[in-house]
This record gives sequence, C-alpha cells and structure tokens, in this order.
Amino acid sequence: MFYDLIIAPLTESATQRALLGGSLVAIVCGVIGCYVILRRMAFLGDALSHAMLAGVTAGYLFMQAFFNRETHAGAMLVGSLLAGLFTVTAISFVSKISRIKEDAAIGIMYTGVFAAGGLLASYFSERIHVDIYHFVMGSSVLVIDDSELWMMAIVAAILLAIVIIFFRQFQITSFDPVMASSLGISVIAFDYLLTACTSLVVVSAVPLVGVILVVGMLVTPAATAYLISDRLGRMQVLAAIFGITSVFGGMYISTWVGKISTGPMIVLFATLQFLFVLLVAPRYGILADWLRRRSMVPQQLVEDVLGCFRKDPKAALSKSVVNKYVSAKPEEIRRAIRWLDSRDWLDVDGDQLQLTDTGRQEAVRLLRAHRLWETYLQHLGMPETELHDRAHVLEHMHDEETVDYLDDKLGHPLQDPHGADIPIDEVKLTSGSKVKIANLREGHEGTIESLEGKLTGPSLTVGGHIKVGPRKENGEVWTLRLADGRWVELDHSAADSIVVKLD
Amino acid sequence: MSTPAIKVQNVTVSYGPTPALLDVSFEVPSGQLVGIIGPNGSGKSTLIKTILGFKKPDVGSVELFGEPADQVRGRVAYVPQHGSVDWEFPITVRDVALMGRYGKIPWWRDASAEDKRVAREALEMVRMEEFENRQIGQLSGGQKQRVFMARAMAQGADILLLDEPFSGVDAATERAILDVLQRTKESGRTLMVVHHDLATAAEYFDRLVLVKQRLYAYGTPKQVLHPELLSGVYEGRLKVFSSLSHGDAPAEVVGQVKESKDPTES
Repeated sequence: MFYDLIIAPLTESATQRALLGGSLVAIVCGVIGCYVILRRMAFLGDALSHAMLAGVTAGYLFMQAFFNRETHAGAMLVGSLLAGLFTVTAISFVSKISRIKEDAAIGIMYTGVFAAGGLLASYFSERIHVDIYHFVMGSSVLVIDDSELWMMAIVAAILLAIVIIFFRQFQITSFDPVMASSLGISVIAFDYLLTACTSLVVVSAVPLVGVILVVGMLVTPAATAYLISDRLGRMQVLAAIFGITSVFGGMYISTWVGKISTGPMIVLFATLQFLFVLLVAPRYGILADWLRRRSMVPQQLVEDVLGCFRKDPKAALSKSVVNKYVSAKPEEIRRAIRWLDSRDWLDVDGDQLQLTDTGRQEAVRLLRAHRLWETYLQHLGMPETELHDRAHVLEHMHDEETVDYLDDKLGHPLQDPHGADIPIDEVKLTSGSKVKIANLREGHEGTIESLEGKLTGPSLTVGGHIKVGPRKENGEVWTLRLADGRWVELDHSAADSIVVKLD
Repeated sequence: MSTPAIKVQNVTVSYGPTPALLDVSFEVPSGQLVGIIGPNGSGKSTLIKTILGFKKPDVGSVELFGEPADQVRGRVAYVPQHGSVDWEFPITVRDVALMGRYGKIPWWRDASAEDKRVAREALEMVRMEEFENRQIGQLSGGQKQRVFMARAMAQGADILLLDEPFSGVDAATERAILDVLQRTKESGRTLMVVHHDLATAAEYFDRLVLVKQRLYAYGTPKQVLHPELLSGVYEGRLKVFSSLSHGDAPAEVVGQVKESKDPTES
C-alpha cells in the first residue's frame, strides 16, 4: 500500500524528471516570490506570465517562417522574455508619462499583449502545433524532457547565484530605497534586475502550471513562509521548501486520483497549505490571534474592578459585590479578576477578593486620578451631580504625566470637591526619591537637594533639613520647618522650585 | 571660511508637473543642528531625499563637504519617517543596525565580525541591544526611532538627516532622542531634522530652514520664527504664533518665601 502510493511513482523516470524539474522551478519561484510579495509586485508577475503567450507564439512563428523549424524551445524562450520586457517597459512608460497609476497601467498593457498573443495563435492556428489550452491552463500530465530539465537547472542556478550574491542589495532596496541610494546602490538597477529575475522565473514556471496559475507558484509559497518568519533569509528558505512540498503534494494527488491536471493540483495544494499555516502560525496566525484576543482584558474593566476597593483598599470583597458595582458581563469580570490574580494584584480566596500591596498601590493611583479629575471638572464649572460619572470615565487617563500635570495645574489640592482626601503618588514619594516640595504633604521630611528658579525672602540652604508642616490658606501656602526650628511659608512657585531628597 | 558640510544650490525638484522644491539654496556649516520646518506637503521630505541623492534635482546641485553629493556616498545617514517604513518587513533589529555597514562591505563577501561588532555597539549606544532579535514592527514608537538612530551611528556618517524623528513618540522619548541628537552634534557631526512642532523648534535647533516649495527663511530660530513670516507660509492654518514671539524670554516667575510662626501652634 505505502509502496504503491509513495515509492512506486518514484521509480518511473518520467515522474522523477517531473518532480525534479518541478522542485527546481518551485525553489526559484519561492525565493524570488519573497521579493515579489514584499514589494507588492504580484500583479506584475501575473502580467509577465500572460505576456508570454504573445512571446511564445511570435517565437514559434518566427522560427517556422524563417528557419522552417517547428516548436523551437530557445526561440520561444527568447520570445517570452522579449514579450515580458516589452510589457514591463510599456507599463513603466505609461505610468511615468501619464496620470495613470501603475496597477491600471499593468492591467492595460498585459491584457493588450495577451490578447495580441491569443489573436496571433488563433489566426495561425493550423500552423502552430502548440497546445494553447494547456499552455494557459496547465498541462494535464507533466512531461519534462531532458533538455527542459537542463534549462530549468541552469535557470535555477543563475537565479540562485544572483539572489545569494546580491542578497544585501535586494534587501536594502526593498526595505529602504532611500537609504540604499544614499549608499550609492542603484535602486533602479536592482529594480530592473529583480524584474528580469521575475520574468525568468515566470517563463520557467509556465510549463509547470500554465500561464494563469504562475502567480500562485510565485506568491503563495512565499506568503506562507512570510507568516512564520521574521527574517528575509529564513523566509526565502521556507518559501522554497513550501514550493517543493506543493509540487510533491500536487503531483502525488493527481497521480492517485488520475484524470485531474497536475498544474492546477500543485497550485491548489499550495493554497491549502497556505490556509493551514494561516490558521496555525504561532504569531501571525488566526488561532494565535484569537487566543491573544481571548486572553486580553480591557484595561478599563481591570480598573473598574480595582475601583470597587475605592472606599476601603484593605477590605475583602465578595465576587457578587464586584459584579454589582462593575457594569460588564460576569464572565468578562471573571477574566479581569483572573488577570489581576495572575499579575499578583489580587488575592483570590474562594469568593473573597483582597488587594495585595501592589494592587493597593494601583488602586490608590487610580483613586488619585479619579479625585484629581473630579477637582479639575469642578474647576471647569461642572455641576456636582455629574462630577463622579465624568471623572469615572476620565480616570482611565491616569498615566503619570497627565495626572501630575493636573495636580500641578490645580495647585496640588489636598481634597476633592466632595471633601475626600486625594492620595499622594506613593510610588514616587518613597525614601531617597527626589521630589519638588509642592508634591509633599504634612509630615514629610528630607534634605534640600537643589534650588531651581528665583526665590525671594529668607534664604534656604542646599543640604539643609526640612520638615513639611500643614498647608495654609485653602492649601495654597506650604509651610516648612527648617533645621534651626524656624518656620517659613512658600507659595506654589517657590514650592515648585525646591527639590528635596526624602528621608 | 571653511567648506560648508551641506551646500544646496538653486535646487528645483519635481514629481509631476509642479515642482516640490523651487530654486532652493542654503549652506549648513559643519557641526550644526538644523531644523527643517514648513506646513504639510511643503517639500521638507523632498529636501532630505534630494540631499541624500535619492531624488535627482531637475536644476541645481547639492555639495557635501565641497564635493558633488554623488561622490561622497555613505557619509550621509538617514532616519526615515515613521510612515514610510514597512514595519512588517521580515527584518530584525540587528539586521537593521547592520544595514548601516552595507556601504562598507564589498559585494563579494559577507558582513565581517568587525561589522557585526560596530552594529552591536551602535545598538548598545541607544540601549536597544536586548531587543536585537525582535522583528522591527514589534517595538514601541520610541524604540523604533532608536533602532534607526543606531543604524545611522553604525554607518559612521558625518551628516545625519532625520525625517520627523519626534512624531508619534511620547514626551520622555522625545527628550531622549533630542539628547542623542545633541550628543551627536557635539561629536562634530552635522544634523538636519524635519520637524513639525513650531513650539519646540526654537529650543531644539541652532538654525531653522523654513520651506514651502521655495525657501522662505534660513537662519537662527529668532530670525525665522517671525509671526508675519510664519503666518504667510502657514496661511493662517496656525493661529498660535503669539506664544512663539521671537526670542522674548517668558516672564520670570519668582517664588515667594516668607518667615512665619509655627502653624501647628494655635
């Protein structure tokens, strides 16, 4: 059974040649295809393959008319390359000279050249002994003779040599053409070289899968590799491998089933292979993305759960209390709780939830943001009844910079409009940290680290020890006790200009 | 006077029928940090690309250190605009830094151990060495900028051209990038930076170039940031020129300290 299915076909020399030739083509398709997809040239690849029809018929007729030779492979190859060159030149001419964009120019030119090829073939149909249908659609049984195999090998060797030697140049002109040209690397020259390589690849792939499906060979294995690689070299190796597996997969399946064309089967295999990788790719795949989304918890929800502990950060709350206060689906809240638990912000003991020290710090930071926002909104003249709800939305903007800015603009208030204390930023006000006096509260002690800006009145000395006293005059005046027992008063700007290192 | 690092002479560049830059001329002496300002689509990026040699001028010339620009390849490094980079390109942080060495590696051989060491050091300089295996799209805005700064350093260029390095980064990162720019300048290099924030332009740069197709002004921030000049160029699209008043220092704030009695007694 295994022998019949897998090994037996390999013993036939026709199959061997087909597999070998197909693999050579698949390798170069994959390697060049990487550049094709990274530079968004897929449509151009399609154009090149269609242009081949005109080239092949013209080459055939030329040899027949002038040298009386039938199906001359070399002439058809040269004809194809010339047709490709003509098409590319026409495309770039039209898109440069007029307002027509490149994709439209490609559409115009390649259909024109393809149509010309089709008309030529139908007008001389009794003189041309090439199976146009299979040339376009892909052959039913892949027959590769020795001369074709040699040609494929030579083409593959040339292309691989170019790709390896000029790896850096192709990489930099694809990634950052501006820098490439500043280093003296001719971007245009490598664009042309790459287009030439693409033409050569296309020409060698048409006998395998047919004109229409060449793009699939060029793009699909490279795209499959792109889903699982973060480096160009690796992507090219993988693209070559995916190309080979498509050739083997496609040929085997068409042999087993019989009656189905090899070319389309190879491309279909490549497509299915792509879809499979798209599903399971570890970083850029659909499953990975879905898992990532699932494990993600909206920041807002996390903060709302923390907000439940607002009244008493030390209290233990039951899950039902949290469910009541937070407006979200219970399962979302469960996920938020799990997330908090995994970050070690929350101790979960059966139904009871309690904040850990880090969790408490986070909750306090949130509370600080909430109350500062309330104070700010009150300053704007918002009615007191709306303060809480608006602040509840705004408290999610609690990055340090925003909150500190608010705090400063409001003159470092001690209480919010409801008379509740605004907590300090505990994380910042730890022993040894250097802070402006304006941020300190009664009881903080430290030594003066530096005096910035201009100050009037009795001089303060750097290195002197101070202790912060109570705020006066609605919190707008700071008081300090100096080392010698004297007391001084500071206004906001003076308090902002003195930096203290906390004990 | 010594040879200017950058000399742009009567440069006209066009993409289509209308020129993006028209008859632009200026000289930048060595060791300066120059800002390029102007409204959107005013040709700021085109100016950078022309100095780099990516865009050939229709008329005029660019000289670097007294030589035609296309003969001093590699002495100019470039940090691209965020939006012009394909962040999904399969390339790692290390590969991008190594790209800075491409101008020095002959085509027949691979990057040497020395090249890799220089690239690595450049990454260390911007503190990005621990991310060297990351694909570049998986970095924050500021980290991305730092990688491209490292690439410019690895190139060892004397002139650095940066296209909006401060766009899309937070204030702290902006400070950090500015710090790197200052240090680069102090090491004797010349920098030109496309910048869109007029409010910080005076503070950041030694000189400013104001372009909108034509060169409107070139000189110290004080000379260039004239409200009349700016409102002409920006056509009233910016109305907050009052705060950028040319060179007047903001009114000085004096903090008040007073003796007082013990507030805890009463």
